[in-house]
Amino acid sequence: MSDELIVKDHNQVFEEEVFQKTFADKKEFECGASEEVVAQQLEFSKSAEYKELNFGRKFLKINPAKACQPLGAILAASGFDGCLPYVHGSQGCTAYFRSHFNRHFKEPFSAVSDSMTEDAAVFGGHKNMYEGLKNAMTIYKPKMIAVCTTCMAEVIGDDLNAFIGNAKDEGYIPNEFPVPFAHTPSFVGSHVTGYDQMMRGFLFYFTKGKPKAATNNGKVNIIPGFDGYTVGNTREIKRMLDMMGAGYTILGDNSDILDTPMDGTYRMYDGGTTIEEVSDAHNAIATISLLGDSTSKVTKACVEADWEAQYMDITPLGVDGTDAFLMKMSELTGKEVPESLSIERGRALDAMADSNLYLHGKKFSIFGDTSYVEALVDFYMELGAEPLHIVCTNGTKRWGKQLRKKLAATEFGKDAQVHDGADLWHLRSLMYETKPDFLVGSTYGKQICTEMDVPLVRIGFPIFDRHHLHRYPTFGYQGVINILQWTVNTLLDDLDRKASDFNNDFVR
Amino acid sequence: MFLPKHAEIFEEPSCDHNAKKEKAGCPKPTPGKVGGGCTFDGAFSSLVPIADAAHIVHGPIGCSGNAWNNRGAQSSGDKLYRQAFTTRFLNNDVVFGGEKKLYKAVREIIEEYNPPAVFIYQTCVTAMIGDDITALAKVVEQKTGVPVITVEAPGFTGNKNLGNRLSGEAILKKVIGTQEPKTQHPYNINLIGEFNIAGEFWYVAPLLDQMGVRLICSLSGDARFHQVAMMHRAQLNMMVCSRALLNVARSLEKDYQIPWFEGSFYGAKNTTQALMTIAEHFGEPALVEKTKQVIADEYGLIEAELEQIKARLKGKRALLYTGGVKSWSLVGAIQELGMEVVATGAKKSTEEDKQRIRELMGEDATMIEDGSAKALLDLYHDRDAHVLMAGGRNQYTAVKGKIPFVHVNQERHTAFAGYQGFLNLARQLDKAINSPAFALAKAPFPAVS
Repeated sequence: MSDELIVKDHNQVFEEEVFQKTFADKKEFECGASEEVVAQQLEFSKSAEYKELNFGRKFLKINPAKACQPLGAILAASGFDGCLPYVHGSQGCTAYFRSHFNRHFKEPFSAVSDSMTEDAAVFGGHKNMYEGLKNAMTIYKPKMIAVCTTCMAEVIGDDLNAFIGNAKDEGYIPNEFPVPFAHTPSFVGSHVTGYDQMMRGFLFYFTKGKPKAATNNGKVNIIPGFDGYTVGNTREIKRMLDMMGAGYTILGDNSDILDTPMDGTYRMYDGGTTIEEVSDAHNAIATISLLGDSTSKVTKACVEADWEAQYMDITPLGVDGTDAFLMKMSELTGKEVPESLSIERGRALDAMADSNLYLHGKKFSIFGDTSYVEALVDFYMELGAEPLHIVCTNGTKRWGKQLRKKLAATEFGKDAQVHDGADLWHLRSLMYETKPDFLVGSTYGKQICTEMDVPLVRIGFPIFDRHHLHRYPTFGYQGVINILQWTVNTLLDDLDRKASDFNNDFVR
Repeated sequence: MFLPKHAEIFEEPSCDHNAKKEKAGCPKPTPGKVGGGCTFDGAFSSLVPIADAAHIVHGPIGCSGNAWNNRGAQSSGDKLYRQAFTTRFLNNDVVFGGEKKLYKAVREIIEEYNPPAVFIYQTCVTAMIGDDITALAKVVEQKTGVPVITVEAPGFTGNKNLGNRLSGEAILKKVIGTQEPKTQHPYNINLIGEFNIAGEFWYVAPLLDQMGVRLICSLSGDARFHQVAMMHRAQLNMMVCSRALLNVARSLEKDYQIPWFEGSFYGAKNTTQALMTIAEHFGEPALVEKTKQVIADEYGLIEAELEQIKARLKGKRALLYTGGVKSWSLVGAIQELGMEVVATGAKKSTEEDKQRIRELMGEDATMIEDGSAKALLDLYHDRDAHVLMAGGRNQYTAVKGKIPFVHVNQERHTAFAGYQGFLNLARQLDKAINSPAFALAKAPFPAVS
């Protein structure tokens, strides 16, 4: 239709004269600083002097790249068959969590809260818990309910074990109904801590008091961890292990519930690790955690101390990482790595060689969760790219120290700066000091990248502003190809965008 | 510590439902059911659009980490509101108190950014351990001269609407009336409860300009701190979103004799009515004439295409599920397109909002209280609807049910206000209902023989 009215959106609307006038008039009320002063201040914020001021900050966090414990807890809980994640505390927290996962996975996400209010703050949250468990069970008919907490319940010291026990004793829910739980205050740790707590909650709940079988069950437990790519990754891990014929149990398999089909049926529950599987987990050959930071404290302890079983961290990201994972699986299960996987490996190496020239020697900054960041840095170094700044808001001092030591011994990483505990406002200062060729991180890196005109390779959690990335694996040899192509094509797009006329080539 | 103060807030004399014993407009959530946002969220989201101020969340990582920069309230200039400032409360702070940390954090903000004001938001944890943020704000103000506004709306207090209202209290107490406009103008207005989602107010602002009416402040879409401070110099207030910030309008009426009216910029009819009410208020025939002209010109731009779309949408049925004001303000706009609204959400609506819904949809209007995914889908099929209009948390549920969907909450990217926004809304409905992707999904899978 040729006479269609062009309704300008908010990106173009300002170009019109009438808007220019509106905004000019508005300035009178804004009482802002003059444009000159604003420009000066902006320049100052890019300076070395400002960086010093910024790093002198002790009490304030600006743009933190981390989330809170219950977020991780309910992601872990969503990976169990028929499980309803339940948050004991204020309802607003739960609404935030659901939005967060909706926006990242572009999927519905079910989680309920027992909506504690002021009276609960004064008298304790047990009544909310009783009513809540009863209502959740009646309305949403889960096979189990996994309970975690918000700060509010933690500050008043609600005891989940006692509350759940009482709820059963007093008949609000049946005695045999499974309710694994974990205490997950937001003021301790981050979302990976919450994942750890809840995973341990499940393992402990379903195996406690159960004697170990005389022989192992022939399977290796695989824990996916807090992974924004859990849909693609869990499926990729299963595919590779099926190709090997190795026995495995995914503990917390949320790849189906976070990717349900559009077929007219809304599924509140779909797939996931069954009660039978998790109840047998202590009889496994060993337990491999794919993202160590998501299991490093209590889950690890549960496997090693309670089960007296073998636990190890292997992130199958990059060629080395995937190799290590498959070799270990082969060693544990006695199954050979099949030829077909060797061919996939060869293809991944071939792809890396194809793009090598665009990545070798490129300098990058990166932020995210510790295990992911570490694995990604390793992979980028396999490509000859050099890490400049590594920022992990939820990284501990100890982690930082270890990584610095490890990188100092590498060819490409020896000049990298590791900033544990730093936030994204720190990262901005760092990037103004030394501008990288690209930044790797979640959507939260967008502000800096737009401001500095640095390409952002979106890998991490959360990704709100791009679609479908979570469907692709970052693990395995397929993951190598995916990360490689996201990176090189982002750089090539950037190159094209900035290319002058004579360099606007068809072939790259 | 909170109960008495909040009890007062509930006694909002302009709210009809408060005459009754049950405060039906401010319902308590049910434990164990899928719930919505909290008081903190309501307060934070209604003030954060004040774009040149620094907004610091005094609490653990979650409250800020899960909430920063994710609402579509746009700013035409300053961007400081997009930065997430937080004290990131830790274990030790819970034990020893967080006042010192907050004090230093606010000082650090002022040192690094020198904003016109700092807003401090209380959260569940810091409220429960009893951090006195108001006393602390005074000290910072004395030392730095920068206004520090405290918003005492911890999440556990209740629902989102209450948070909106508490945020209103905060600015009434500390901000409004502290500054005078530099120049005089015959016709000054404020908008209250307009958040400039997806920049939609920018379809309305130039119309006011053309009419010759001066907007002192829009609370809080694209607002600046100083604009809020001058709100008491308007001669008329328009309440745009629900009655959530009603306390601001009422207070300005009581203390500064500024009358207010309720209106909406969703739909051409609503917009016309709002603009005419503004023009007629000043009793100046020339202004009324000018306004009529502006309306005619602007409506003329969209009329032809609107009529075409209306022909396609006629008789289609929409299921609207959204909180508060949009439950009625959007109803009018959808009906204006010749569509039928078969049910509308009322979980967060006040009793007054519900009355409005009844006026628009009839006494038997279906108001949705259970917003769970399943309930919505059941209702959708039960009423044989053609499109679901709701917020982000329901978008993906709708898709699973092969249901055409139009996003109407804060994360949306399309502006719906004013005349051109109304055309956007019509286009979106048209696209959703007549989408080829949904037609494909509804066709049976090719039979495997």
